[in-house]
Amino acid sequence: MIDPDMCPGPIRSQFASDEEMRELVRMFVDEMPARIAALRDAWDASHSKQIESLAHQLKGAAAGYGFAIVGDAAAELESALRSSEHDLSSVRAQFDALVDLCSRAAC
Amino acid sequence: MHTQDTPPVLLLIDDSPSIHRLLAFKLKNEGIEFLSAFSGPEGVELAAANKPSLILLDLAMPDVDGFTSLLQLKNDSRTINIPVIVVSGTSSPEDKVRAFELGAMDFVTKPFDVHELRARISSALRIHRLMSMLEKRAQIDGLTGLWNRAHFNDRLAAELSCSRRNGSTMSLVVCDLDHFKRVNDTFGHPAGDAVLQGFAATLNAELRSYDIACRYGGEEFAIILPDAAAPQAHMICERIRAAIEARRWPNYPDIRATASFGVTDKGIDGSDAPAAWVEAADKCLYEAKQTGRNRVVAFSGPTERPRLAKAG
Repeated sequence: MIDPDMCPGPIRSQFASDEEMRELVRMFVDEMPARIAALRDAWDASHSKQIESLAHQLKGAAAGYGFAIVGDAAAELESALRSSEHDLSSVRAQFDALVDLCSRAAC
Repeated sequence: MHTQDTPPVLLLIDDSPSIHRLLAFKLKNEGIEFLSAFSGPEGVELAAANKPSLILLDLAMPDVDGFTSLLQLKNDSRTINIPVIVVSGTSSPEDKVRAFELGAMDFVTKPFDVHELRARISSALRIHRLMSMLEKRAQIDGLTGLWNRAHFNDRLAAELSCSRRNGSTMSLVVCDLDHFKRVNDTFGHPAGDAVLQGFAATLNAELRSYDIACRYGGEEFAIILPDAAAPQAHMICERIRAAIEARRWPNYPDIRATASFGVTDKGIDGSDAPAAWVEAADKCLYEAKQTGRNRVVAFSGPTERPRLAKAG
């Protein structure tokens, strides 16, 4: 499993120095607080399908914006949810890891 | 032939706005127009209405999954021929097999490498372009580049029902080169071919961009003129008639060609059937031939006798 502490501090996009991509990456990063809030809301409501869907979206998109590690964490959460038949208590670690990585994403 | 080169349109069906933004950005220099749908049903509807050149379809979407949408796209005659690249977060062989069985052209796993996706998109667009070209070729007359008779039959029925639905007028013209056999016999078949090509070029030059000119067979041509009543169609034909009479063929300076025209904006006995329209136009063409050729005769309805038009 991905251990967020392996790389403490802000996580920079792989495309941070790409002049063309900068604006796009900034928008993706700016949306992170809203994504985290949506993840937390779904968690508090025990809405596991919603968490799976959010994780699935991040899995597909994050690498494209240069945040491969966020995408990997999202993939782990998604697959843990599926293999545990959506037992939220058993995916706590994966959930926290994803939220932590999301909160550290920076341009 | 009147076709316009428009940029290919790509429809992306994916519930994640981040993917839409990323792809639109990555493809912005490819000369591709971008259409967005955020759910399966929305995508299926947009595809039927806009006929994009290519669809990128996400498999895992809430509510309606990609397989369901793929099935709908492939069961609708309006969308069945649009290539679909399935984009999926999982790469299970079962999903791939199912996607291909349902009619997908390609399968890409997310997160995708943008360069690879771009290459796959351009390959799918190339195939789509070739397919539409072949489809069109089958409806084009090889000698003149005009639509052929098969296309004419399809289009006449379609345009008639369209004009009935919209309450708009339209005209049908049947025309024929005068004494064409004589050209062939005197100057040879290559000269005859040149005259047919010259006539087609004259039609393209004089017709409006949305008129449909077809080679009906031999030296006979048919033209569908949407949104034109018989007087306007008559005027256009008169222009064509004068232009072909004035036309010269550099390789065959002695050739003079003329044509006769039958024009109608209704079917015989007021019928809406395509055959009744062709019959009405044919009747006028026959009259034009009988009364001296090199002229335009318009049909004036079921109650009156076809009247002779003033041809120059």
